[in-house]
Amino acid sequence: MSIEYIPGDTLLHRLDVRTKMVGFLGFIIVSFLFQDPLYQLLILTFTGLLAFWIKIPLRKIVGMLFPLIPIIISIILITGFTFAPDRFDRISSQAILFYALPGERVGATVGGFLMGATFILRLFSMMIISSVLTLTTSMDEFTQFFQKMKVPVEISMMLTTAIRFIPTLDKKRRLIIEAQKARGANFNHKGIGGSIRSYLPIMIPMFINSILMANSLSMAMLNRGYGLTRTCTPMREISFEPWDYWTISFIVLLLTLAVFVRFILQLGIL
Amino acid sequence: MEFVESAIGLNNVSYCYPSASEPCLKNVNLTVEKGKFVVLMGSTGAGKTTLSLCLNGLIPQLMEGEITGQIRVAGHDVRKTAVQSLSRVLGLVLQDPETQLIGRTVEEDTSFGPRNFAVPLEEIQQRVNKTLGKVRLQGYNDRLTEELSGGEKQRLAIAGVLVMEPEILVLDEPTSELDPVGRSEIYETLDHLRREKDLTILLVEHSIEEVIKKADEVVVLNQGEMIWRGVPTELFRNIPLLRQFGIKPIPVSLIGWDFYEKGWISFADIPLDILSAEHLIRALLPKHGQLIEKDRPRKLEAPTTTKSIAVQVNDLFYQYNSGQPALKGINLTIKTGEFVALIGQNGAGKTTLAKHLNGLLKPTSGEVIVDGMDTLQYDTSQLSKTIGYVFQNPDHQIFSVTVEKELEFGLKNAGFKGKEIKERVDQVLAYTGLERYRLVHPFSLGKGERQMIAVASILVLKPKLLVIDEPTTGSDWAGVQTMMTLIRELHTAGTTIIMISHDMDLVSQYAKRVIVLKDGEILLDGTPQEVYSNEQILLDSAIVPPQLCRLYSQLMDILSQETFIESNEFTALFESGEKTGCL
Repeated sequence: MSIEYIPGDTLLHRLDVRTKMVGFLGFIIVSFLFQDPLYQLLILTFTGLLAFWIKIPLRKIVGMLFPLIPIIISIILITGFTFAPDRFDRISSQAILFYALPGERVGATVGGFLMGATFILRLFSMMIISSVLTLTTSMDEFTQFFQKMKVPVEISMMLTTAIRFIPTLDKKRRLIIEAQKARGANFNHKGIGGSIRSYLPIMIPMFINSILMANSLSMAMLNRGYGLTRTCTPMREISFEPWDYWTISFIVLLLTLAVFVRFILQLGIL
Repeated sequence: MEFVESAIGLNNVSYCYPSASEPCLKNVNLTVEKGKFVVLMGSTGAGKTTLSLCLNGLIPQLMEGEITGQIRVAGHDVRKTAVQSLSRVLGLVLQDPETQLIGRTVEEDTSFGPRNFAVPLEEIQQRVNKTLGKVRLQGYNDRLTEELSGGEKQRLAIAGVLVMEPEILVLDEPTSELDPVGRSEIYETLDHLRREKDLTILLVEHSIEEVIKKADEVVVLNQGEMIWRGVPTELFRNIPLLRQFGIKPIPVSLIGWDFYEKGWISFADIPLDILSAEHLIRALLPKHGQLIEKDRPRKLEAPTTTKSIAVQVNDLFYQYNSGQPALKGINLTIKTGEFVALIGQNGAGKTTLAKHLNGLLKPTSGEVIVDGMDTLQYDTSQLSKTIGYVFQNPDHQIFSVTVEKELEFGLKNAGFKGKEIKERVDQVLAYTGLERYRLVHPFSLGKGERQMIAVASILVLKPKLLVIDEPTTGSDWAGVQTMMTLIRELHTAGTTIIMISHDMDLVSQYAKRVIVLKDGEILLDGTPQEVYSNEQILLDSAIVPPQLCRLYSQLMDILSQETFIESNEFTALFESGEKTGCL
């Protein structure tokens, strides 16, 4: 799953990170309320629309699904055979299609297959919705979310610093590989022992350089007053805008509606 | 109280690193008054960095060890104040900007300091913008730090410290990895800062040509002891003293010293810049000078006939994956036994071109033929037996537990066995002067020695060609001499040398041919004399010719046709070349 933030200016980008988190949570709740694949299909369509709105490369997501096909098939088969008829409320779901073994043993229920389909659809919509979230929210916003949620400053500092140093370490790695190649190092050895040995000349300088860098980073951080007080001024004060209130009301409304449908009307169950 | 007056006051300070037997600082007494610009000099291992770390309390608060004596900074007792609180009084900029940048974007990074002091957001934004303006990075707020150039990163590192509005700024070799443009940018920034506010500056630096006029005082450390302090001009006119301290003299002062020794001028008349050197030579030439032979034979004339071709580059184009062109049609022939220097601004394509020679990069179009091998058909491990490549940072390759094992790595890769390996390692250890470190862990040695190990680990392969990328970065003058002497010996023994360097004095002294790259194209190609006489073209590609060449071009009207590049060429005008030792 791609976690790269794509800058943009849709409503989804502008929403406060807290609103988005509420939406994400609400979405998960709704998704787990319903067992009927038809309802799941509806939810999936909705996430698809969101993805389409922020122009996620849908083809890429579809591409990621192909390797999952064996898993999808096995999930459907397993649920089809393992869910006993008495686990379903609706009569139609309790119907048994056929038996895998003679003597009416290990029956495949309609509900089981439907449940399998629900699992799959739920998985898809989860993947899409979390992509939507990460693609429209910058790291900085997540950091602030952690802060608002009272996650300790050290942890959010650790996360952001780690992200800041990914490109730096990657550059180091390239330089090290080049330096060893220039001394005739060959990285295509056969066997596990061979390949571990051939990576030592990369891994050891990598560790040494990381330690050296960590050391001077800690100096630089102290130099700049890190750790004097336990608080620090947030970069940008995140604040709710009118559209945040509208969106949250909308989410709450949908959630209430979903609960109503599920528990009062008793729909969407199997 | 005398300490209240001064910005920095060290009283009998000694410090010993936890594992070291010898103290790194010995009884240092130093006072720096408010608003002064002091340059701290000395050879590698003299204790310059240690001293800077003592000033803001990183020693001993982060690094343990035994410290005695008293350190006061702007009225604070350093040993009783936390590093973090001191950072508002004394800003310390460390050597490598890469690890000092904490934020992802420029603004995020600059605001890191004030945020830790819980400065209100509005004020942070004001301060950030003001500080970025001061280091001439205004409008960079949303740029990603990883995408900045070396000079920009260094200026951002300075901004990150300045934004806390310290009274004192301590910079530890802030320009060692920069090209001449990046360097002068930093110096201009410092100058600007000093004029604008009453900032006390302590600068640790190897080369002083650029700052000699700006500095109020020079302090020299040697083996942890303060052995000299005074006005910069006093030190830089005293050539024997400089040699003793291991500090590189200013090229024009060598001419002056020669005149002084002959008794023609007084000590105070020894020139330290081009203008005064020009006046001096003009004044002395009628009195003491010789008639100038228009066709003086060149002593560096190399026979160019019948040498085989070592490198042939035809129509080389190279594009990065992003599609951005890096090399645009390079045509180049290097003959066996040449000593070529590749110069040019950062990003001009020097390293990109060099990496094509040993196959680390493959041409997008065109061809590169090294010793008869097309690099498209051979991979780097095969080419490495013919062409050695020494990288700038030795720490990127050292991974063995002893120097000996480190040297064996290349030989094992090349398929050598037992006795041959031992013989070659012995030979190279003796040649590079690393014999006594044979069984020592490479990382327990200094940067200069590690650089030498990197060179040695390439030399064991006995390459016919040697590419050296910035062999002297961060070395002191003695280290530079050792390294360059070795390279010159290799060249004399017949190795083709291709050196990438920002140090124009080195290039003019050692290289026989200079190639100037600009924006992925060859701008100039010729002997150092020919190349450096094109002052205007060089300035356009942000290269400042060596001082003596600039002096020569000022004196063009009275001198011979060939550009002078060594100080003894100037002194030879006055007496038939009995002067020894150039630089």
